Amino acid sequence: MSTTKTVANRAIKARAKGTPDRIQKDIINANAIVDKKIVKNSIHHVAETEELSVADLPQGDISVPMNLWLDHKAELKKRGGIVAVQIAADEFPEDFSEEYAEISSIVLPMVSHVDGRSYSHAYKLRTRFNYDKEIRAIGDVKYDQLGFLTRSGCNAFELPEGENIETALKAFTEMSDVYQPSTDGGALIFSRRRAIH
Amino acid sequence: MYKYDAVDKTIVADRVEQFRGQVSRHLAGELSATDLAPLRLRNGLYMQIHAHMLRVSIPYGLVSSEQMRALAQVSRQYDKGYGHFTTRQNIQFNWPELADVPDILQDLSNVEMHAIQTSGNCIRNISSDHYAGVATDEIIDPRPYCEIIRQWSTLHPEFYWLPRKFKIAVTGATEDRAAVKFHDIGLEVVVNDAKQVGFRVYVGGGLGRTPVIGKVIKEFLPREDILSYCEAILRVYNLHGRRDNKYKARIKILVNAMGIDDFRDEVEAEWSHFKDGELKLHDIDFETMQAFFPKPAYDNLNSGDDRVAKWRDLDSRFKAWYDNNTVEHIQPGYRIVNISLKEHGVAPGDATDAQMDAIASIAEQYSFAEIRVTHEQNLVLADIREQDLLEVWKALDAERLATPNIGSVNDMICCPGLDFCSLANASSISVAKQINEKFNDFDELYDIGEVKLKMSGCMNACGHHHVGHIGILGVDKKGEEWYQLTVGGDATNNAALGTHLGKAIAKDRVGDAIGDILDVYKDIRTGDERLLDTFRRVGIDPFKEKVYAEDS
Repeated sequence: MSTTKTVANRAIKARAKGTPDRIQKDIINANAIVDKKIVKNSIHHVAETEELSVADLPQGDISVPMNLWLDHKAELKKRGGIVAVQIAADEFPEDFSEEYAEISSIVLPMVSHVDGRSYSHAYKLRTRFNYDKEIRAIGDVKYDQLGFLTRSGCNAFELPEGENIETALKAFTEMSDVYQPSTDGGALIFSRRRAIH
Repeated sequence: MYKYDAVDKTIVADRVEQFRGQVSRHLAGELSATDLAPLRLRNGLYMQIHAHMLRVSIPYGLVSSEQMRALAQVSRQYDKGYGHFTTRQNIQFNWPELADVPDILQDLSNVEMHAIQTSGNCIRNISSDHYAGVATDEIIDPRPYCEIIRQWSTLHPEFYWLPRKFKIAVTGATEDRAAVKFHDIGLEVVVNDAKQVGFRVYVGGGLGRTPVIGKVIKEFLPREDILSYCEAILRVYNLHGRRDNKYKARIKILVNAMGIDDFRDEVEAEWSHFKDGELKLHDIDFETMQAFFPKPAYDNLNSGDDRVAKWRDLDSRFKAWYDNNTVEHIQPGYRIVNISLKEHGVAPGDATDAQMDAIASIAEQYSFAEIRVTHEQNLVLADIREQDLLEVWKALDAERLATPNIGSVNDMICCPGLDFCSLANASSISVAKQINEKFNDFDELYDIGEVKLKMSGCMNACGHHHVGHIGILGVDKKGEEWYQLTVGGDATNNAALGTHLGKAIAKDRVGDAIGDILDVYKDIRTGDERLLDTFRRVGIDPFKEKVYAEDS
């Protein structure tokens, strides 16, 4: 990325890590939706805390904050199972462009469903960095967010406890047409109309 | 006007069913009120003091007779028999029941209307010049561009959860009637030396708590790039706009914090990734869209109708209406007619179901079945033959829609205020009435001439008080309603924010204070100066001295 980008990002970034832009507690869900199907979930999402170290990580499949990945990549790669990496809402995908070849799946933790930054992260990951592995939204992600998150590039979701995950599958078929391109193959409406002239 | 094709119909129909599902999940206890709130807002549904309020989108203010009748029917069937036209060229219904709203939206979808993104932190209705297509100073018809942006921005998956609301306006004329410098993005048409059509792009303008005049981010954006450039601005804003404080979340705060040059660099860097990609528009796209806004089938009338002069001579009420409420048209023999929704004693912008039906019929008979909503909360019949003016005037007058006060002190913009709005600090409608009552002598109004009086019931500035020639802001002082006045605001080409007059004024003195300001103006004006021009010449002091004379 250009240097102007980095400079501007630093100027604007309002909060340091560990503030409410990041998940505060580990997230462990029994089920997930992957490619529009309900599956058993095995990934333990580790929250970003000041004390977090590789030695403290739980056994099994995990997702870890990007900072931990950057600092301990070699150790993490030696683990068996899934090691997914989180990109928080206040981080920028372009800052980690050299990592994606080595990251087997990306997790976008959403602290609040009204915060739309992760949508742009997913979009950039798919279109600019051609990331073709799993992108999973977790946290405050419910039925009514699934449609647009899918359009923006997420293909996996974990809903908070208490949400009806079967009902939420309907979100994928609610809207049967679109006006604009995103990552889902939707075309700009004007190019579709143009094609018949 | 634009007609839906199968894609538009599918999207709007799916959207109605989606909202029906959300409401029924809520009523069944499966979707909490907190989680429903942002979803209903994105379908135009607010919770106000007494009831829900539904804001229906009127893209760039253009509405057909058929649609106007449907709005009248909604007000009759689901509301209390009236609607409120807004400064965003939309309409609001103040009393719908939540459970009825999916049916209302379905009824509206039958006439190609919706309430998508009329509220919430997303891209709102695209607004424009209410004289589009008929103004004598028009360079390019802005409506095709508005419609293109409307479609691109509708249910855009990435920009549905912005830091704050986002408003885009387009003007295609020399005189800016769309207040583009007070929008998050303002597009002002420019034809360059090579005869290419493009836009000067303003960013970061807005009113609200922190009024800011938009800054130029791009002097000339070729028209084929409008969508990609808007997308680049929106993406930078979505990622960088503040989300920790809703009062600092608009793009104007971001632009001011970064500075326009750094903000521009960021947008250009973002844009460079996809500027020649699939969002690029082609000439055929504009031609196809322009075909929805053809020049109407005007009669070939060489010049005006001689009888108009006679009607004006023989009926002073007609003359007053003609002089104040009608405007020169680009087509010989035609006039633009403004319908005043500022009748004395009625909340500014309100129209009853019967009035809406009547307007639909008048438009059908005389004006190609189209009506425009202005951001000054009036309506426009854009294409009236001069020979029909007397009949049109009679028909409007019979419905109390011909108050000859367009552009006068009585033609004020006013938010719903404390009477309806849960945000308001003070009432607006009762102050509007007070001012109406004080200035009930039309000859005096005409002598005073053009005064844009704009009033908001709180600092959120829905009544655009910052850009009123006279602005009034309601404030709460220890539980009492007080009003702060400004002078010298201007939403047009020479955009300016009003200057504070002084300390807040008690509610019962607002009318007198306006009277004082206008007395000073009448005393010191020269030639055909408007109040705004006089203020620009002499500053705030003479007005301040008079209004606060009793205090000293």
